[in-house]
Amino acid sequence: MAFLDVLMLGFSEAFTPTNLLFCFIGALLGTLIGVLPGIGPTATVAILLPVTFFLPPLGALIMLAGIFYGAQYGGSTTAILVNLPGEASAVVTAIDGYQMARKGRAGAALAIAALGSFFAGTVATIGLAVAGPTLSSFALSFGPAEYVALCIFGLLAATILAHGSVVKAIGMVCLGLVLGMVGIDVNSGATRLTFGSTELYDGIDFVVIAVGLFGVAEIASNLEFKEARGVLQSTIGRLWPTRQEFKESWAAVLRGTAVGTILGVLPGGGATLSAFSAYSVEKKISKTPEKFGHGAIAGVAGPEAANNAGAQSSFIPLLTLGIPSNSIMAMMLGAMTIHGITPGPSVIQNQPELFWGLVASMWLGNAMLLVINLPLIGIWVRLLKVPYRLLYPAILLFCCIGVYSVNNRGFDVALVILFGILGYVLRKAKCEAGPLLLGFVLGPLLETNLRRALLLSQGDPLVFVERPISAVLLLITAGMLLTLILPAIRKGRKEAFEASED
Amino acid sequence: MMTGSSKNHRDYPDLLAGGLMTGLGALGLWAGRDLAFGTPAMMGSGFLPNVLCGVLIAIGLFVFLKAMTKSYEPIGDSNIKPLLILIAAIAGFAFLAESFGFVVSTVWLLVIGSLADQESRWKEIAVSTLLLTAFGALVFIYGLGVQMPVLPF
Repeated sequence: MAFLDVLMLGFSEAFTPTNLLFCFIGALLGTLIGVLPGIGPTATVAILLPVTFFLPPLGALIMLAGIFYGAQYGGSTTAILVNLPGEASAVVTAIDGYQMARKGRAGAALAIAALGSFFAGTVATIGLAVAGPTLSSFALSFGPAEYVALCIFGLLAATILAHGSVVKAIGMVCLGLVLGMVGIDVNSGATRLTFGSTELYDGIDFVVIAVGLFGVAEIASNLEFKEARGVLQSTIGRLWPTRQEFKESWAAVLRGTAVGTILGVLPGGGATLSAFSAYSVEKKISKTPEKFGHGAIAGVAGPEAANNAGAQSSFIPLLTLGIPSNSIMAMMLGAMTIHGITPGPSVIQNQPELFWGLVASMWLGNAMLLVINLPLIGIWVRLLKVPYRLLYPAILLFCCIGVYSVNNRGFDVALVILFGILGYVLRKAKCEAGPLLLGFVLGPLLETNLRRALLLSQGDPLVFVERPISAVLLLITAGMLLTLILPAIRKGRKEAFEASED
Repeated sequence: MMTGSSKNHRDYPDLLAGGLMTGLGALGLWAGRDLAFGTPAMMGSGFLPNVLCGVLIAIGLFVFLKAMTKSYEPIGDSNIKPLLILIAAIAGFAFLAESFGFVVSTVWLLVIGSLADQESRWKEIAVSTLLLTAFGALVFIYGLGVQMPVLPF
């Protein structure tokens, strides 16, 4: 059977000693970063992106993916033990997880979180393996018009599903698209928006924007005020959950996995949205909803399974269509581009070892995370006591050297300052930087295909409506924008996100 | 805020966001003023940048004007001192790296950068700078082969 053949290929790639090592380093670094409050997975991937340029392409992707899902695991550890979520998707885990820890059941909460995540990761990885080839063979028939529609759909859907004001997010997408156009225009050779600087002829490097917006700006806002520290629940208790706890959580894990796998695929979806949705599903379905917020194990199991499933399945649109669904996937796209891989439907056909190797390594990485997290929990607990003032200089050094190493010049590091300031101001203005990054990475794809489509149709914009796939995508996009104008849905969306603000 | 005076009617984060978008859009239009616009069938190099900057300005103005009528929302407490110190640290690194090498630029970056935290202590800064500089030189310059001189000479 062909499916077994490609799976074998994947595992033979993932099981090479170097790739196993990259996978382990990624998972370990991810856990480390996830555990430490004040530095999120987006910032970490941005900072470590340049380091992976020195690795072979598959090794680089394996490590970056490992960092990403490792951070999902690690974030929940901090959420449960200290009530300080290490990253956004663990916010809901803190609600019931910390209450369990206060009752001396931290061990059970951690074990259920890890086991649920492993199960969810396995299911979502199988989902990726099954959906990948199907979707990509479908996408191979896409022409320029379809790609334009897909980009517009991806960008606008991401702004609608993301936090905060949609109008501001669309503005951020436009700003990102404009930034992506800086440099020499490949069609005409004209220099665009360079302000006369020859260093900008090749455009702004992706790493510069990512490190500035997510690295430097994050450090600056973390240092604004004295550190907030939660109270560490030092007794972890017995790790193995009781029979009753298993009984209460297995169904929640199944539901969380389903919710996460589906929501992860959507643009703007991914781990955070999945976790929040799974929590509200559990609360609604439960026979004892009054227990939620007071240490209900289903309130840990569901969201934990969902955030890990969402993290894995958000790779599906990137690897099959070449469209990233959130800012971490945008960084994966940046990493692939730098290694000379054009993400999209042709990857599975032309470089099967890359796709299947990554899929297989994701499953291996999830298995490694079980080992990294459960028996070694004591080490992570101790790490929680390291103060931020000792951590951020190291982060700063990684940022600067990483950016320098891309082109071996100080100019890029200086440019980081501009984006650091921009990122800081955007935080004050309550604008999300994620849509900006999505616009930036999709800008060239959108422009090339828009030019091609309109050249072929001799300037007739109807080409986007005449081709069925593109028409459907644009129709869905228009529908989503329309629903936002309807007050009832706007209210529902606001309520869904207000829970996440707390 | 129950007092209905006009002062309490502004959403300051949105005012900032709207102003920023309008300003950056205008800057983009100005920077791309000489680019050929072309026609949809034969787009010039300035077609999309100008269109997008126009959209950016429109969205910026919309956000700005709407913020004038929204209920009061403050920007929140700010302390830009850490940001300014970080900028000084990074700018020094950018300037020193190519000519003065890894050690000088990294020591500047770490010592100045560490001052951004109010709770920093000189002893800790000295130790962490020493360790991180040694670690960075080994891993990045010798290990990964980043093209940067180690010492100024």
